[in-house]
Amino acid sequence: MAQEQESKPRERFTEISVAEFFSKNKELAGFSNPTRALYQTVRELVENALDATDSHGILPDIKVHIREVEPETEDRPARYEVTVEDNGIGVPKTVMAQAFGKVLFSSKYVIRQTRGMYGLGVKAVTLYAQTTTGRPVFVVSSQENSEYVYYQKVRIDVKRNEPLVAEDGQFLKRSSWHGTVVSALVEGDWQRAKPKIIEYIRRTAVVAPYAEIWLVTPENEIYFFPRATKKMPKPPREAKPHPHGVDLEQVKVMLESTKAENLLDFLKEEFQGIGDKTATEFLRSVGIRSDMSPKTLLRKDRAKELEEFVTKLRTFKGFRGPRSDYLSPIGEELIELGLTRMFKPEWVKAVTRPARAYQGHPFIVEAGIAFGGSIEPQEEPILLRFANKIPLLYEEREDVSYKVVTSVDWSRYGVQEPYQLAVLVHVASTKVPYKGVGKESISDVPELESEIRNAVLEVARSLRLYISRKQREEMVKEKLVTIAKYIPEVARSLAILSLPPEKLDKQYRELEARARELLISSVSSSVEMPKIDGRRADPRALVEAIIKGVEIEEVR
Amino acid sequence: MPEAYQDKIDLEARKRGINVMNGTFSKLLESLESGKELKLVIPKRTLTNTIFDPEKGILKLGVSKLERRFLDMNEARRFMQTLVMASIIYRALIENEYPTIRDLYYRGKHTIVYRDLEGRHREENTWDEQAESDAVLRDLEVMLGLLREDLMILSKEKGKVVGNMRIRSGNDVIDLSKLGHGAYAIESTPDLIEFLDVDAEFVLVVEKDAVFQQLHRVGFWQKYKSILVTGAGQPDRATRRFVRRLNEELGLPVYVLTDSDPYGWYIYSVFKVGSIQLSYESERLATPKAKFLGVSMSDIFGHGRKKPYLTDEERRNYIIKAKELDIRRAKELMKYSWFQTNLWKREIDMFLDKKAKLEIEALASKGLRFLAFQYLPEKIQTHDWIE
Repeated sequence: MAQEQESKPRERFTEISVAEFFSKNKELAGFSNPTRALYQTVRELVENALDATDSHGILPDIKVHIREVEPETEDRPARYEVTVEDNGIGVPKTVMAQAFGKVLFSSKYVIRQTRGMYGLGVKAVTLYAQTTTGRPVFVVSSQENSEYVYYQKVRIDVKRNEPLVAEDGQFLKRSSWHGTVVSALVEGDWQRAKPKIIEYIRRTAVVAPYAEIWLVTPENEIYFFPRATKKMPKPPREAKPHPHGVDLEQVKVMLESTKAENLLDFLKEEFQGIGDKTATEFLRSVGIRSDMSPKTLLRKDRAKELEEFVTKLRTFKGFRGPRSDYLSPIGEELIELGLTRMFKPEWVKAVTRPARAYQGHPFIVEAGIAFGGSIEPQEEPILLRFANKIPLLYEEREDVSYKVVTSVDWSRYGVQEPYQLAVLVHVASTKVPYKGVGKESISDVPELESEIRNAVLEVARSLRLYISRKQREEMVKEKLVTIAKYIPEVARSLAILSLPPEKLDKQYRELEARARELLISSVSSSVEMPKIDGRRADPRALVEAIIKGVEIEEVR
Repeated sequence: MPEAYQDKIDLEARKRGINVMNGTFSKLLESLESGKELKLVIPKRTLTNTIFDPEKGILKLGVSKLERRFLDMNEARRFMQTLVMASIIYRALIENEYPTIRDLYYRGKHTIVYRDLEGRHREENTWDEQAESDAVLRDLEVMLGLLREDLMILSKEKGKVVGNMRIRSGNDVIDLSKLGHGAYAIESTPDLIEFLDVDAEFVLVVEKDAVFQQLHRVGFWQKYKSILVTGAGQPDRATRRFVRRLNEELGLPVYVLTDSDPYGWYIYSVFKVGSIQLSYESERLATPKAKFLGVSMSDIFGHGRKKPYLTDEERRNYIIKAKELDIRRAKELMKYSWFQTNLWKREIDMFLDKKAKLEIEALASKGLRFLAFQYLPEKIQTHDWIE
């Protein structure tokens, strides 16, 4: 907490305004109305639960329980208790209150790809709960090696942006349980939010097929998504910021908190991808002495120099590109598995593109396409959007992925209307360029847009290949059916005709079987099956199956 | 069927049919054994492959052939039908049966129940219409070089004959002059008839059964030492073959009497050169020397110095106005090379000019005696016919 102490003057200013700002502008955090708020509450808690599990290599077991506590009245909406339990790493008792009761709390200044991005997340739930029902959130948690289970009831002092602990306790842990249970009492509109919440959970299960998720609704309906695999994507790693991705405020914080003695070391230690040579070269180009103390640059009379320093940081061409190995894509296999489970399609494929960067922020785009099968035909392709593994459900038409997917001429890829097509787009980044604080749609940043297009079209090309081969296969199969169904009649006739009268009775059976066999060989070797997804159908098996299904009936 | 009642000729014909069929199709199975694809080579029975042989004066099948491949999606069904038909005929030959083409149609009509690509049950008949089974029967005839008569396939007997002549059919001798008011129905297998003795000078083929009966009752064939035949409209194969044999084997001239219209002319043409549909049998069925005796346009209207047989009043009563269809048919016939003789051109031109047609019955109405004892003998005597 030493850092907190140092940066207090500036932080107080921002933190207080942030907590107040959000409590007065709930819509920005996605709490604009009772429907949206209930949805957002579930979402924030589930994402927290996932971050506490899969980011730490734990196969998630997540239970979501929504219960109506008080019905709707003339004056206010109904009240719901939303409880989310995970089997994650747990929250240490020391930071529990901060984690749930202080906006923009973070223990260390690093960047990492997490589901919650604004440091707001679950604290928005705390804020919303206390402004609508006046109740604190109830947190129960235990870490793996802890002997105790701790619990607290937490609310936020909005003016001071400090947690208020209403109740606090602990008890001895008898089992080996670890994880967190968060329970919030909020106003909401379940009837309206229900389809969105269910869809949200379903889509979460698509990209996290390794998670086991339970949803118990106020009507006591149970939605259960069993674990489909134990394979998990590698957890995201923490990384230092890339110089192209920082802004003035951020650099100020970094200069304040750094232990480096001079600017040369500051650059080398606090940023990624800067070595001795690059740092020297950079400082020379800005015209700042490399032995200057970082704190000097914070002085008021140096404001102009600092501004220049930051601008150069963001534009200097000599830096290596941002590292992407701390991004955590879902992976092609898991996307394909998730899509298969959700849609039971005829064909599925996903691609994880190589990392790219925009404005110094690395990102990876993944796309998956499910085609045919049990997918309900639609006027437009079904679009499943994800950012850092979070399903995005609202503001679809604002999203860059929608723009890309609707601009594709699917007929060129062999897909006919109505579409039996689901397109999944996942953007993983240390900074997803959302359009609003609600984090429901992604802006059309050019680098991102072109990469999404590349990803979708890459899979679409595979689909085109599949469809065209499938069509060829259908044609071959049609030919086989057309011809093979006559084999029994032809074999019978040929056997009769090839035997002289005196041998007809004795040798007919044998010759008929022989003729049939020869005809099967002849017909099945007359076609070539196209290779589809590495496999080729066996024409002989097809011909035999067709013949097996043939019955000859006398016409009366 | 007990063989004791069957005659030798019949049994030998069967044996020939069996041998040809067994030989042809064993080779087909052998080719399949050696890894070749199944195909039948069949002379084409199309109009473009029907040629007129001016030397012989008959319609013949040209040299082009088609390959019917089992592995061709579009031909597999026809291929299957051809084999089904062949096997039924083959069995019938072995079993000493005499199926009609209708029998063949029913025996071969099976329903093939199968599943389509989506696994749905589908049904398909080996053939639906008799036209389909008839067509593959014709294919087999040209492919095997055997006519249906050779394969002991019967059709409805349509043709009749009376006259001063005795024949052997099966184990019986039949006197065609001792049939009372009736006539001998020309059997489906006229090649198995043996001509015993004949006392006749010509053959008169009458298009219409009614006119045949009238001429028979009035004693035409007795008075003029002739053999009277009718095909009762469009003649069947047996009647045509029978007439051909009378002409070829007995050297009797053949005169044909039909209505005076394009339809009647075509019936004459079928006797003379063969039909387009059955051109492959013309070799044996056509009678190239047959003469069109009448009724001709000049019989009705006269020509040059020839006086018409009808008076103005009779013409008014009997002539029928030609229909659009008649005109069209006449123009079609003009294109056939065997209708391009001078006399035929004159006949058709007159028809197109007068746009009038006449039925033979009109002459009988004028008087049966006139028809039998004046018109016909006079026409024959004065060689007033068209070839």
